[in-house]
Amino acid sequence: MNIQDFNTKVYPLKDKIYRLAKRMLDQNEEAEDLVQEVFIRMWKIREKLDEYRSLEALAMVTTKNLCLDKLKARKFPVESWNDQRQFIENIAEEMRPDHSDLLLGVKEAINTLSEQSRMIIHLRDIEGYEFDEIAEVMGMQENAVRVALSRARKHVRELLVNDKSYEYQRN
Amino acid sequence: MNIKEIEVLLERYFEGETTLAEEKLLKEFFSADEVPEHFRQHQPLFRYFSDEASLTIDNEEQEKVLMRRISRFETEVSGSGMQPVQKRMYYLSGIAAGLLILIGLVFTFKSELLKKHFPGKENASSELAYSQTKQALLLVSVGLNTGLDEVQRFTTLNTAMEQIQKINKFYNYQNQFINPEWMQSPSTNK
Repeated sequence: MNIQDFNTKVYPLKDKIYRLAKRMLDQNEEAEDLVQEVFIRMWKIREKLDEYRSLEALAMVTTKNLCLDKLKARKFPVESWNDQRQFIENIAEEMRPDHSDLLLGVKEAINTLSEQSRMIIHLRDIEGYEFDEIAEVMGMQENAVRVALSRARKHVRELLVNDKSYEYQRN
Repeated sequence: MNIKEIEVLLERYFEGETTLAEEKLLKEFFSADEVPEHFRQHQPLFRYFSDEASLTIDNEEQEKVLMRRISRFETEVSGSGMQPVQKRMYYLSGIAAGLLILIGLVFTFKSELLKKHFPGKENASSELAYSQTKQALLLVSVGLNTGLDEVQRFTTLNTAMEQIQKINKFYNYQNQFINPEWMQSPSTNK
């Protein structure tokens, strides 16, 4: 695969990679850096890229693994620093007129999910992946993906929807 | 789309049973400005999903950096895959190892090298060493001989003592056979 192929086949994945990275890392700059890292990884194995059935799946798996590495490394020393940055970035997002408090609430609710559930709900509800595609990226069985997705959606609903009104609605 | 259908879809959505097409219908339904009252609480969720799906890197600067880095890989020596610092250490360690081997070789073959380059000097000095050693050994030998001379004197003394022993014997015999008065007195005095 030469640079032209790379630009036409791999480079357009940048936004998907960026969205997943931002979902997991919750930081713009780190997510941008991670996009670069994913491209570097894929460029290094460019000779073998033609053997992969789906470049997108490969890119997403690479993104997933790099994000998990980053999150693991983060658990220690830069925690307070990250919190501050996140706080500033959240303020910036709040200032944007199209981001109402309610939408921010959704983001926060999703952030309370485990890393795995967050990835699954992101791939399904934002990227619109089929279950088999999610299963491939996550390295899980399709059924397990379905169960985890249902659990994640319900968890988010519980946080967002006032319990009483939900019961009222059902009755 | 009627309300009943949406309710069923929502129920199935939370069970993880909806298809992508059905989820798209839900998103479209909730993207409308006017949503029936009792569905309003779910609106942010689907709005958020639609919003997030259109998120892009959206940063020209970032994109430029990205493209520059990718085009740099093209020219980069491929396969080495090392950071600059790593690379420097790699070369430095090679040079250090080379120097060590060189020093080792010099020490190992120093004597041979000297012999090769200064043959006359080496021979002269070895002859000198030989003669000096010889002299030293000679000195030791002479010293040893002087010592032996002293020992010789003791043997002379020994022979002298033997002569004196004979006189002693003579006195003993005299005691036994003649036994004169004055010879006994020392023993009676005891």
